[in-house]
Amino acid sequence: MSDCRSCRWLRFRVLPFVAALVFGTTLLGAFVPVCRADDEPKPDPAGVTTGDRSSVFDAGGTSFVVAEPSDKSAPDYAQKLKDYQEFQAQAAKEPLAMKLADGVGHVRLGTNFAWTLNTGYLVLFMQAGFALLTCGLIRKRNAAHLMMLNFAAYVFAFLAYWAVGFAFQFGAVAVNAAPLNLGGTPTLNSFLIGSGSWGWLGGKGFFLTGPAYDSGANVLTLFEVVFMETAGYIIVGAICERITFGAFLLCELFVGAILYPIFGCWVWGGGWLSQLGTSMNLGHGYVDFAGSTVVHAVGGFCAMALAVVLGPRLGKYGPDGKPRAFPAHNIPFVVTGTFILLFGWMGFNPGSTLGATDLRISVVAINTNLAAVAGAASAMLFWHLRFGKPDITMACNGMLAGLVAITAPCAFVNATSAVIIGILAGIVVCVGVLFNDNVLKIDDPCGAISVHGYGGLLGGISLGLFADGTYGAGWNGIGATSYLGTAGQGVTGLLYGDASQFMCQLIGASTSVLWAFGATFVVFRIVNGIRSMRPSVEDERDGLDVPQFGLLAYPDDELVTE
Amino acid sequence: MKKIEAIIKPFKLDEVKEALTKAGVQGLTVSEVKGFGRQKGHTELYRGAEYVVDFLPKVKIEVLLDDSDAARVVEVITSAARTGKIGDGKILVMPVDEVVRIRTGERDSAAV
Repeated sequence: MSDCRSCRWLRFRVLPFVAALVFGTTLLGAFVPVCRADDEPKPDPAGVTTGDRSSVFDAGGTSFVVAEPSDKSAPDYAQKLKDYQEFQAQAAKEPLAMKLADGVGHVRLGTNFAWTLNTGYLVLFMQAGFALLTCGLIRKRNAAHLMMLNFAAYVFAFLAYWAVGFAFQFGAVAVNAAPLNLGGTPTLNSFLIGSGSWGWLGGKGFFLTGPAYDSGANVLTLFEVVFMETAGYIIVGAICERITFGAFLLCELFVGAILYPIFGCWVWGGGWLSQLGTSMNLGHGYVDFAGSTVVHAVGGFCAMALAVVLGPRLGKYGPDGKPRAFPAHNIPFVVTGTFILLFGWMGFNPGSTLGATDLRISVVAINTNLAAVAGAASAMLFWHLRFGKPDITMACNGMLAGLVAITAPCAFVNATSAVIIGILAGIVVCVGVLFNDNVLKIDDPCGAISVHGYGGLLGGISLGLFADGTYGAGWNGIGATSYLGTAGQGVTGLLYGDASQFMCQLIGASTSVLWAFGATFVVFRIVNGIRSMRPSVEDERDGLDVPQFGLLAYPDDELVTE
Repeated sequence: MKKIEAIIKPFKLDEVKEALTKAGVQGLTVSEVKGFGRQKGHTELYRGAEYVVDFLPKVKIEVLLDDSDAARVVEVITSAARTGKIGDGKILVMPVDEVVRIRTGERDSAAV
């Protein structure tokens, strides 16, 4: 009977709610009056004015256009003013060169647009990898249910991010963290909560209308929405086989609209964590290159909170409290999915430069691969030493943990450090899986908490240890001319002499855990109190494919009882 | 008439089939089955947690024979399927009351 109840709940409560939300917000978005003061930057939907001489930089990042100095009290004011006047005189003499520079700037941004969009498409393809990986790791009887979760995650989290998520995350990006490689998106320029170095929530670009109806901003949107989807996907691995579809949709709306964008704003949208360098003198502020914490730890610890709220799958723990194994039903899926994820990560990390004109991309790509293979090798070795045989599913988890852990530091470390980080990640994921299973007794069918949560935490912290200072000069507005007394010194970790960066990484990484676990736990404890997020015991025992969606993933098996 | 049911190790199927063909057996039925005998199942580890494989995969062969051939064919199967290790399986011989060939309606020995 209770399956009927949950059906009815789904049909009469959740679906109309979601539909009303989508249509209501569409209408709102379409009719919100575009109020723009005259001095506000104008969006460029056609992409014809984005990219001119001001987008031309040399290899070292020095701008072609010399800006007029504004700070008259600066010691080098006289020199800067002289440079500026010389540039102006030269520009007046050579209008053709200026016109050419406008073309060069436009092409430069075109290159970066192409790079960022294409790497974004690679990240999008990771959804297929996640779907195969998680499906392979669970039991046959829930395979269609899991595929529907994976599919719906993309759909509903995307809509939530379009409505409010992007604006919360990047609505103020031009204030402190303008993506110059994409033209700087000057229209996304105000916080909804906070200001200056203490931004808490972006406030422009709701429904991608008005200031976000801009070619540069939309490149950012495409690239960032697929990142959000990754976090939205991660939770599936920990909550599958025991959640109703309606409850799952709520989780996805929560991740896409609130949980992910808010932490994302703090780190990538120019929010307070990124500005700790300016405001509290802590290194370059909190640095997470491609999202070990912003994407993975947030997804992983959100997943952990949901797994705690849901409780373990039926029969996962015997009467003696010992965990039982529910073996993976399709190892070829697991391995294929893992390789698709590795491939997608070649967009995730190198793409996070937001531009092919940042030639660090090759180092990023190599570091990413090295950590992946080191993670897989160390997980295999760990399992072999501990249990006598390597476990292919743990080896795959090890590769993914290596990828997750290198995601934050990938641009700032050298090859040796990448291998060390990968090895550590492989061990962390193995210990994490055993720890969750045996000590915390949190049921995590696909190891999502260990791979993304613990692995992500390791990534955020290891940046603070291993960053070697060769890249990232001027990151988060710190040390543009010189840092630690050296010109061109970039983000630097504890082992290379900057303890304050390490401190900052500890602060940022722990914040990601507290925020993701805390907010999710509170919200969904309440949701679960109002109406249970679990399907009925009978449905869970028989498999969720038929009770929730009316069909089996493998209909040929219908006569075979497992 | 007799029916012989032999439950054997799956990898021995080809050898047993060849031996039976050589011995003049004209038809047989094979099914994949699972079970355990005195060898019991075994314990495996998946991601650090134990699980027991109770039922081991076996192959069941069914052959229909005239009474006079039964003893010889049992010998043939026994020698072809034997590895000498635990889990080689069992052979059952049982009487058959009636046999009908569906296509022609032939009965008993003519239908074997």
